[in-house]
Amino acid sequence: MVEERRILYEHLDVPDINTFDVFRQYDGYTRFEKAIAEYQPEDIAKMVMDSGLKGRGGAGFSTGLKWSFVPRDIKPCYLCCNADESEPGTFSNRYVLEKNPHLLIEGILICCYAMGIETTYVYIRGEFTLGKKMLDAAIKEAYDKGYLGKDVRGTGLNIDIYTHPGAGAYICGEETGLIESLEGKRGQPRNKPPFPAVEGVFSKPTVVQNVETLCNLPFIVGNGVEWYTKMGPTYADTRNDPPTPDPNTGTKLYCISGDVNEPGVYELDLGLTCSELIEVAGGLRGEEVKAVIPGGSSAPILTHYELDTRLDFTSLTLAKSMLGSGGIIVMNETRNIVDCLLNIMKFYAHESCGQCTPCRWGTPWVRDIVQRIADGNGRKDTITRPKFGVTESGRWGDTGETEEIYEDLDLLESVANNIANVDTMTWNTICVFGIAVSWPAVSYMRKFRPEFEAAIREGKLVTLPVAEATVPPEENYAYQQRFIPKEFADL
Amino acid sequence: MSDELIQIETPFVFNEENQREFDELIGRYPIKEAAMLPTLHLAQRQAGYITPAVMKYVAEQLEVTLMKVKDVVTFYPMFFEEPVGEYVIRVCHTLPCALRDCKEVLDYLKAKLDTDIASETNLAKGTTADGKFTLMKVECLASCDVAPVIMINDDLYKNLTPEKVDEILSTLSS
Repeated sequence: MVEERRILYEHLDVPDINTFDVFRQYDGYTRFEKAIAEYQPEDIAKMVMDSGLKGRGGAGFSTGLKWSFVPRDIKPCYLCCNADESEPGTFSNRYVLEKNPHLLIEGILICCYAMGIETTYVYIRGEFTLGKKMLDAAIKEAYDKGYLGKDVRGTGLNIDIYTHPGAGAYICGEETGLIESLEGKRGQPRNKPPFPAVEGVFSKPTVVQNVETLCNLPFIVGNGVEWYTKMGPTYADTRNDPPTPDPNTGTKLYCISGDVNEPGVYELDLGLTCSELIEVAGGLRGEEVKAVIPGGSSAPILTHYELDTRLDFTSLTLAKSMLGSGGIIVMNETRNIVDCLLNIMKFYAHESCGQCTPCRWGTPWVRDIVQRIADGNGRKDTITRPKFGVTESGRWGDTGETEEIYEDLDLLESVANNIANVDTMTWNTICVFGIAVSWPAVSYMRKFRPEFEAAIREGKLVTLPVAEATVPPEENYAYQQRFIPKEFADL
Repeated sequence: MSDELIQIETPFVFNEENQREFDELIGRYPIKEAAMLPTLHLAQRQAGYITPAVMKYVAEQLEVTLMKVKDVVTFYPMFFEEPVGEYVIRVCHTLPCALRDCKEVLDYLKAKLDTDIASETNLAKGTTADGKFTLMKVECLASCDVAPVIMINDDLYKNLTPEKVDEILSTLSS
């Protein structure tokens, strides 16, 4: 059994860790002090680059690389901490904010020092009233103790942190949506480029980082790059010759919910498999795993054939899914996939910001199709068409059989693929919300097609046994490129 | 939306405490407009909901057009343009909560409060006759490990069952 390795969450349950004095007892702010005493800002940026830290918010983009795009000569530069945790299935940031807000402040301080930033906005979800209260109190304490404000600890640095409440819009978790919202507008994402690193909030260079990413920084600085890179696998990117290392280093706050016995946040090294994680979370509630969503509701679903997939950025990308924000939702054999998809599509139809036509109209359209199927009114083509194949005489032609066409399933795939095409990974929208809609829609439908067909055929929701409901890997072209990545050390 | 089109029932101004908080807020941003969301939160807390008068006041304070404020208010689901009950009950109904029977909680609340579920354009539908509660469905509240969850005003209630709902409602009613 895989052991939990608590780093970010190590002191989470210590009583009063949210106060400065207790946090200080557990090495609080010593990492920041080490950073300013021993390193130059460029050294910190290099350490983050070498650590291989990937952004924990969803896209999994290398943090060090992101920092390297920020022009150093344009001031002021801003840091936006993304605490707009809205992805269904994700809830790790909430605990950091509510229980250990000083850790986030320390992370922000290190980032500010490395990038020469003076102002940070923590964009916090409007619903996180407790989290905002705790963070505000911690910020006030840090100001009183001289870790924030003018001339921090006599170093000449000026660092300010402000919290900014959101107001319930999912799209504000997208970095440019967040920036628009921070500027006091509707949270409608911007076209990229220019990327926020060059032109972000108030048209100035902006670093946008998730809470979890920033919380990793004190430990990278405190314990060193070598210690950090020992955790998690480093794969070999064989697209390059010679192969280059593709790090998936560090721990991840896996949020597991749904049909497991002990749902919660588990901090584990990246790279454990899906079935191992279910075991860590107290095992499955039910008889059999039917499906697992590996990275928040926008990630393509995994079937029971794919439970050996390692839950890290590279492996899941190769499995044509994504780690996203690390929200794992498990479904057992009693769940109906059509029903689950309907729930998710209602979410997306509600949360589309309405800026781009394919998403504004396409998302409710997809929802309506799934609703129709779930209600038992799914459209089946009335004309059965001849089925072509190898005939008795051994030639290609009309086999004499007929096949039913499920018009709604073709339509579902077509509409979803016109919001964002999951096969070519191109989207007809400004932001990646489009792909977050079509990914679940198409993957659920392709991987659990028998259940969708049964719902249309029978005119009601039918929950099939797991083996019958799932399309085997060899028949499903979503799997075709799937292979287990090699670790760099093995080469 | 010009001034003549808005019927301003009661003019709105920040009370002393909120005015102080607003003055502090404004100093945080290089442009005044950026304080829009926190200001609207503040105003909503004072007025109960965003009336046309509130919008006009916020527009003046932030030196933006009234339309810009309206634009923002209509975008974010946490701002109400209609009166709501004293307690706003937000029931999460996204997948992780749905897998843990949030429907049971929602149906129970509906029956118990004898009201429908509010929609974003019709909040009155979900408000009880005595104006005490407004029942609404919301998307993920980021507490999937303790699902099903509801939020009543600023407080989160976890691992709900009909019995727990009873308990909560009786403490709120008393």
